[in-house]
Amino acid sequence: MSTAAETFRPSPRVTVLFSHSDRNYEPLDPLEVRYEVEGLDDEPPRAVEHSVLWFTEGKGEEDLGVHFFERLVAPERLPPTAPMGQFSCRLPRSPLSYEGVVVKIRWCIRVRFFFESGRDYVSEHEFAVGQLPPAQTLIATP
Amino acid sequence: MRFPRFFGKKRGHRRTGSQAWASLGDAAFHAVLLTAGIVFAGLLLSGVAVPEWRINQHFLATDCTVLGKGLARRTTAADRGGSSTWQPCLRVRYDVAGRTMESWSTPSRSTTTSDRSRAVAALSAWKLGDVVPGWYDPSAPATVVLQRGYNWWMWLLTLLLPGALVSFGGMGLARAIRRWGRSEERCAVPSRFSDILDPLAAGPRQATDRPGVPACDDLVNSPGTVLAYRLPLESPENWTLLGFGLFAMLWNSVLAVLGVGAVIDLLKGKIDWLLLTLLVPFAAVGIAGLVLFVRRVLLTTAVGPTQLEISAQPLQPGGTYEVLLAQGGSGTLESLRLCLALDEQATFTQGTDTRTDRITVWARDIRTWRDLQLTPGARFEARESFTIPADAMHSFASEHNAVRWSIAVHGQPAGWPGFVRTFPLVVFPAEPAPERGDPRREASP
Repeated sequence: MSTAAETFRPSPRVTVLFSHSDRNYEPLDPLEVRYEVEGLDDEPPRAVEHSVLWFTEGKGEEDLGVHFFERLVAPERLPPTAPMGQFSCRLPRSPLSYEGVVVKIRWCIRVRFFFESGRDYVSEHEFAVGQLPPAQTLIATP
Repeated sequence: MRFPRFFGKKRGHRRTGSQAWASLGDAAFHAVLLTAGIVFAGLLLSGVAVPEWRINQHFLATDCTVLGKGLARRTTAADRGGSSTWQPCLRVRYDVAGRTMESWSTPSRSTTTSDRSRAVAALSAWKLGDVVPGWYDPSAPATVVLQRGYNWWMWLLTLLLPGALVSFGGMGLARAIRRWGRSEERCAVPSRFSDILDPLAAGPRQATDRPGVPACDDLVNSPGTVLAYRLPLESPENWTLLGFGLFAMLWNSVLAVLGVGAVIDLLKGKIDWLLLTLLVPFAAVGIAGLVLFVRRVLLTTAVGPTQLEISAQPLQPGGTYEVLLAQGGSGTLESLRLCLALDEQATFTQGTDTRTDRITVWARDIRTWRDLQLTPGARFEARESFTIPADAMHSFASEHNAVRWSIAVHGQPAGWPGFVRTFPLVVFPAEPAPERGDPRREASP
């Protein structure tokens, strides 16, 4: 899934390859991500951020936990000089991906580009940690 | 050019609106608080704290001879009522490095009064020719005081009010500056300043090396009598009881005050029909509050204490554990059920309210007993075992969301409403196998 902060400019296209093609990982697994970016045209980014994080979805307010984060500002590591990027980390023991009824936990990687104009563009790609079955509603309590 | 949105809407799980304007508004709000705190602190320091500190630290001691007595009058402007206050003053003579000085001084600020006769009466405490201790300002010898010491409540006010504004505003401003222009992910990266700048966002305490899993330190600090740990009781019933008690007390206190006023009026032969009309529904609510409170007290005390001990903590998916249930009290329990449950809890804001939804997504009965006869002094005890499913979700707790495991004891006393007592558990994620030889690990993209 990719989202653009502003829509009136053409959005870059980010193609991501995970080290597990099915995007299913177990806790403590090494995670390796390679990505390629296209469509930057004549607006090179001034910084790129890589992050591996979990966030909650559902009825409650969104909570976020960043497991891995790096920010690249050196021009030789940024597109268009380096149109491909990669990063890796070892996943933590928790939390596991969870498909609950009012609480869902998702894992994803994000690649965020910051442009000279001040706008930014984030590309988000989900993956799963663990293999828990989805939860079901039993009893609703007020 | 598109103008940024001031207000946001929730679209799915994302919020619209301008992050930049939100940050700017947040920074401006906290900057105003910080400025107000600094100005307030400056006024209190320069007007109260520093002069008082100088008197106690820098002024030199001397003996003052009382030469004259008088009253200092301060009158407010006529358009503000034109009232006057009176403060006793003493004309004193004292010695400054061999030089004789004379000056007016006020013995104490606390003697200021709007009643002139009281101020005159206060002057009788000093007699002309009396020698009293005094302290003069070495840099301005004409300034002399006859009393010194610290006004502690003023110092406390000086520290507390501006201190709260400065710390709250300063922390908020520093947080806003730190977040300015940064991505959501970069802001969420833990740093040594995170807990200081945003202590509320830290969420519940987490287990070591297990992000998102709540710590179980509070669950293992009470040893059991038979099994390893005695589990703490999550008791919403007691909070309900406290709430009913406080409501009944406050409501009936107001009612008593109104009632006494009405009775006094009646004794004087006056009938305030409006007050009497209001008292009737007020009294009905007060009596209902008392009845509910007494009923709650009876319900809480009628059922004896429930204790639960467990063989291990934290738990692991796939693990089998023993529990010891102990139920005190007297009378007959039509049923007593021990139940293992998994709840999800989500906290969200709805308008200006903060709401919490709790839903049970998995539950399994461990054991149910029927027609238990409890006898005072000999509690009912039962030892059971249960298994956490191997594919179960672990305990999870973040700032607004939680997945909680617990053991609930559901009781149904004969002739009384049922009760539920909940004992929290912490389930850690299953330990991953050290080496599984998973071929996917070697797969390349």
